[in-house]
Amino acid sequence: MVTKTEESQLNKLENQVDNGGGGAWEYLCLARKLKVRRSDKVLKYGLSILNDSRKRSSLGPDEWTLYEQVAVAAMDCHALDVAKDCISALQKKFPESKRVGRLEAMLLEAKGSWEDAEAAYSSLLEDNPFDQVIHKRRVAIAKAQGNISAAIEWLNKYLEIFMADHDAWRELAEIYVSLQMYKQAAFCYEELILSQPTVPLYHLAYADVLYTLGGLENLQTAKKYYSSTIDLSGGKNNRALFGICLVSCANKPNSGSLHLGKKSHCTHVFKKNSQNTHVMKKIPNLRMFGPSPRLTKAVIESPR
Amino acid sequence: MAGTGGGELKYEMAQNAYIKLVLHALKHKTSAVNGVLLGRTSPKNESLVQIEDSVPLFHNHLGLLPPLEISLIMIEEYYSARGLGVVGYFHANERFDDTELGNISKNIADHISRYFPQAAVLLITRSLKLYQKGKTAALLCRFVSYASMAF
Repeated sequence: MVTKTEESQLNKLENQVDNGGGGAWEYLCLARKLKVRRSDKVLKYGLSILNDSRKRSSLGPDEWTLYEQVAVAAMDCHALDVAKDCISALQKKFPESKRVGRLEAMLLEAKGSWEDAEAAYSSLLEDNPFDQVIHKRRVAIAKAQGNISAAIEWLNKYLEIFMADHDAWRELAEIYVSLQMYKQAAFCYEELILSQPTVPLYHLAYADVLYTLGGLENLQTAKKYYSSTIDLSGGKNNRALFGICLVSCANKPNSGSLHLGKKSHCTHVFKKNSQNTHVMKKIPNLRMFGPSPRLTKAVIESPR
Repeated sequence: MAGTGGGELKYEMAQNAYIKLVLHALKHKTSAVNGVLLGRTSPKNESLVQIEDSVPLFHNHLGLLPPLEISLIMIEEYYSARGLGVVGYFHANERFDDTELGNISKNIADHISRYFPQAAVLLITRSLKLYQKGKTAALLCRFVSYASMAF
């Protein structure tokens, strides 16, 4: 997960390189360090460096890391011949390497030969059973084939061994949400909150899942987590502010006398955060947080 | 851009609406995307639904309720002042070969069709398929020329 400052730095570098200002190598290094998925840009600028023999030789030993990075980006963009070239260059230099073997197996996966890729990964895992990347590739194969239950199984097995991998917990939570298995998704977010309690994103996602689950207790817990998100993010998180309003309305959807109470509650929430005045402008009439007509009411009252 | 239908209903989609949704799907190539279609029934012809605009919604947590509720509240408020209502739902799956309409999309489309019985679901796959939500979910139209876009 990338912080805002790192992301803005990356975007600035990307703009600079896009407009011909140089700095491609720094951009590639930063992208590699932050592990972001900008494969089209990485491929373009990586190839521009690799194809120019002068720039390539100026990299020194980092040239091979660049080959690896460009190979992965090429596979993501489905430029398989480029990937093949990079991998053969790496193979010539490091003939017996496990890292290169891993890249070859990824190429099989990118081509769509799932069984060959599975076999290659299994044999690589026999030599090194603690290679995180290969475990995750196996999950990816299952997901790409559409076999979500197998992906969940592999991911659970992976998490039993590597419990500290936050990205894997997030991925598992997202898979559960997409399958509407909200209780299991809540469990994943609980794990994330326990290990990293100061990251507001997990509190927000957990509150969203609790709200979706429904039920009085869950709604009240969701309210607490929305509040903690607002606390942790210094009041700048719009979704959490909206979440508090939603929870207040959902608790008493049909009571007219509390309508004013809700409205003032919502206004209070917005006024408290004067930096977010654009949020108030987006909602021209706070009346809608009362018993709102038509579609939205149905969505709120849908059987959960 | 017009689409033709089998059965009684016809849907006419404005270019803006279509392009917004396709661009949204293109921007987030690696995840499933969501959106609502806005429009009205044509005043001249009861069985023609004009889809005039669309609002792309999400690209990550499609199955979560709070963002959906908030966005629908805002959309209704904004567009009812312009005389448009929610007439359909748009979805594009994460994998390009996944042509199934998932549970989440079905739930949302069900809710929409309760308020607008002629609601449509637009599922973007390699070709485009427009499903009429209702008792018989039948394949309505197909835009074949866009098969070259790999989604």
